[in-house]
Amino acid sequence: MPLEKKGQPMGKYKYDVVIVGGGPAGLSAGIKLVEKGFKTLLIERGRFCGAKNLFGGIIYTSSIKEIVPEFPEVDNFPAERPVTEEGYFFISKDGVVKILHTKRDPKESYTALRAKFDAFLSDYAIKKGLDIAVKTRVLDLIWEANKVCGVIVDRPTSLEDKTPASIEAKVVVLAEGVNRVLTERAGLVDRTVEPSEVVLAVKEVLQLPKGEMEARLGLGENRGLAIELMGEVTLGLPGTGFLYTNKNTLSFGVGIFLNKLMDLNLKPYEILERAKALSYLRELFNGAETLEYGAHLIPEWGIKAFPKLFGNGVLVVGDAAGLVNPLFREGTNLAIYSGLMASEAIKFAFEKGDFTEKALKRYEELFKESYIYKDMLMIKDLKAILLSNSQLFQVYPELMYQICHLYFSAQGRAKRDVIREILAIIRRKRGLLGLVRDFLKLGRILW
Amino acid sequence: MVKEFKVNIDEKISSVKFFVDEEFQHLKIKDQRVCNQCKAKFCLNFCPAGVYRLDHQNKILINYQACLECGSCRIGCPSKNIDWSYPRGGFGVNYKFG
Repeated sequence: MPLEKKGQPMGKYKYDVVIVGGGPAGLSAGIKLVEKGFKTLLIERGRFCGAKNLFGGIIYTSSIKEIVPEFPEVDNFPAERPVTEEGYFFISKDGVVKILHTKRDPKESYTALRAKFDAFLSDYAIKKGLDIAVKTRVLDLIWEANKVCGVIVDRPTSLEDKTPASIEAKVVVLAEGVNRVLTERAGLVDRTVEPSEVVLAVKEVLQLPKGEMEARLGLGENRGLAIELMGEVTLGLPGTGFLYTNKNTLSFGVGIFLNKLMDLNLKPYEILERAKALSYLRELFNGAETLEYGAHLIPEWGIKAFPKLFGNGVLVVGDAAGLVNPLFREGTNLAIYSGLMASEAIKFAFEKGDFTEKALKRYEELFKESYIYKDMLMIKDLKAILLSNSQLFQVYPELMYQICHLYFSAQGRAKRDVIREILAIIRRKRGLLGLVRDFLKLGRILW
Repeated sequence: MVKEFKVNIDEKISSVKFFVDEEFQHLKIKDQRVCNQCKAKFCLNFCPAGVYRLDHQNKILINYQACLECGSCRIGCPSKNIDWSYPRGGFGVNYKFG
């Protein structure tokens, strides 16, 4: 039952579980909860699920199968192209070095656009029996004896009583996204987020004349590209660019740590336009029309700044928790898994008849048993290393270009001289010791 | 270090669909005096929608109608001088692609 009409009273509602936010985390929690038989309401402030959401982006089949087992064999397929080619482009002022991997199983991941993908999940959830109230914003949490027991929304209680409606719930799941305002109100974090803990990403959906995208990128039908761009594309600042092929459009954007933007007083959309003007990309985007511009924050505070994931009557999932792995481009999949774990923990709480943190701690236990916890621990120092080693983003893409340039073009002279010149460039740009140190630093994260 | 590179943000924003709430401004400045004393005025630059601008008296203006609701100003204002909330349910940015 979608509760569509603005101003429709909501006072009479009482649920087992209320979910705040209709992204992948909230929707997967919702689907699993109604499957388990719990009366569940999901509240979304947008006009539909997905209206406020934006990512790079890639979706991963294995995670989606957990909630939509028949995926990708579904009607109204919600994604764009299978990712058949993926890798890194290291962009310097002079040119590009590409590392591309061609995948054997193209059904592992797909490029997607969130307005379509999230809307698909919400349709699926409604069919499963999830109540979704769109165009509704949660104003605050309701507390009773130190326990969250519902939410207050920006809709009237009744036709006569215009005060904001209260909706009761045994458990409230916060899937509110990167701006973790209610998580703060729930007392699950003791400080606000710092600029060094978020990446500001700006993105455009670009359309080329028909057939040009495939021709310029050498793509066949039903083949897709997912590329991370490093180097000059972010002006050498800690962050990355991204380039994904959709069915008929390109998604292109740059993401940079907010504190770095502030340090240098840079406008994110100017960095985006500069990137689009770099030689290789300029040719790619020649004649492109911008269909949509957008911006979003990526929560990169990492496990050290996680909120407490559970409280009395409340759980935190997805971006609100900080569940992204920037090194491996994971986000929506982690959101989905967190939604699944939340639904398991809630089932456990109902079995116990206990909705305090004593029972809901089950969610954290499940999280700590999962691979996600191991990964989040693995990358716990990544942000600090990236922010204090900006040479990684500046020196290396240039170095790689110069080395490749010499390696591939130096004809008519002794190769020992070429190798000497390459070593001299490395010494000048970074120094052999610096190179070893950088590898060790990154290596320490990975093994 | 970085040379000037002019981009018309209004043109970019015109590609985005909004349902503007004329009755509720979801971003407000708590104390204009704090902004007046702020030398850095980071918000003029980092806001990806160009919501924060100066008027001819160097007072900060908020063009909340163009807000992409990313939350950068909530985190980035060094004085936490922005009374930040999302727009009312159903209003604000409405991505077609996302």
